[in-house]
Amino acid sequence: MALLDIINKNLIKVPLSSLDKNGIIEELVSLYADEKGISDDKKMEIISKVEEREMLGSTAMENGIAIPHAKIDGIDSVSVVIGISRLPVQFGAEDGKGTSIFFLVLASPDNPSEHIQILSSIAKACSSTLFLRMLQSSKTKEDVYNLFFE
Amino acid sequence: MKVPFKHMLVYLDGSEGSINALMYAILLAKSTGSRLDALYVVNTKAIGDLVKSRIFIDQERKEFLSDLEKDAKRHLRHADRLAASKDLEIHTITKEGSPHHVILDYIKSQGVDLLVLGSVNAIRSRRDELTSENDRMLRTSPCPVIVVREQDDIWAEFEEV
Repeated sequence: MALLDIINKNLIKVPLSSLDKNGIIEELVSLYADEKGISDDKKMEIISKVEEREMLGSTAMENGIAIPHAKIDGIDSVSVVIGISRLPVQFGAEDGKGTSIFFLVLASPDNPSEHIQILSSIAKACSSTLFLRMLQSSKTKEDVYNLFFE
Repeated sequence: MKVPFKHMLVYLDGSEGSINALMYAILLAKSTGSRLDALYVVNTKAIGDLVKSRIFIDQERKEFLSDLEKDAKRHLRHADRLAASKDLEIHTITKEGSPHHVILDYIKSQGVDLLVLGSVNAIRSRRDELTSENDRMLRTSPCPVIVVREQDDIWAEFEEV
């Protein structure tokens, strides 16, 4: 499975409205929960898993991106939720700078290969400074979606 | 290019597409009498890159390595079972590294003359970074490649033969 197979316009939010780390995680997971029609309990479980993982070490990188992720029991395939924040949010990057591009990756524990492939594709795509600049300046979810498929 | 094929390789990555490719390769090897190898690559390159970029912590590196090793065993055992069901000997191998590099090295070093892959993606982006491992193998393989499409009704055919 490739990253492009799972990019879904309904799982993109521009701009995110939260101004702190936990708020961003909750906003991204809520988007996922709404799209997949999952219960509030499951949604809370996912938020806890992602937050627990972040407590072990932030997934924020030095280029304004963070890739929070978690393995979630009971989900059938890997999903990515993309969010762009107008204002950089303190997400725990080593350089102390804020983060404005978020990729939340949720995967089944049964398919580690797929999980790694998706994380790796996101990291590779985000190694392009031009791509990041275009992502950051996206005004709508359509802009973000089109950036991947142009 | 050697005709007929003598030594086939099928790449397994745990996806449904690669299982389709495996079944097709088994039927093809059975009908042509060629040797069949099934190779699973534990993607240590991607894991290393994820650690370097701080997306993975050390605990995750260990966890995912172990998960992938188990996944490799599970899929290669499945390959053994499927081949045995058709009275075919299959050589199952696990290697580590960057999948497309490992596959290319294996083809060259072992004299593989046909690579069988699960589905490749339609070109939907000009961004090279978004190219899948299968796409890279297809583009760079030094030997002929068969791509088994997911819509091919290989399951039914496998049961029938």
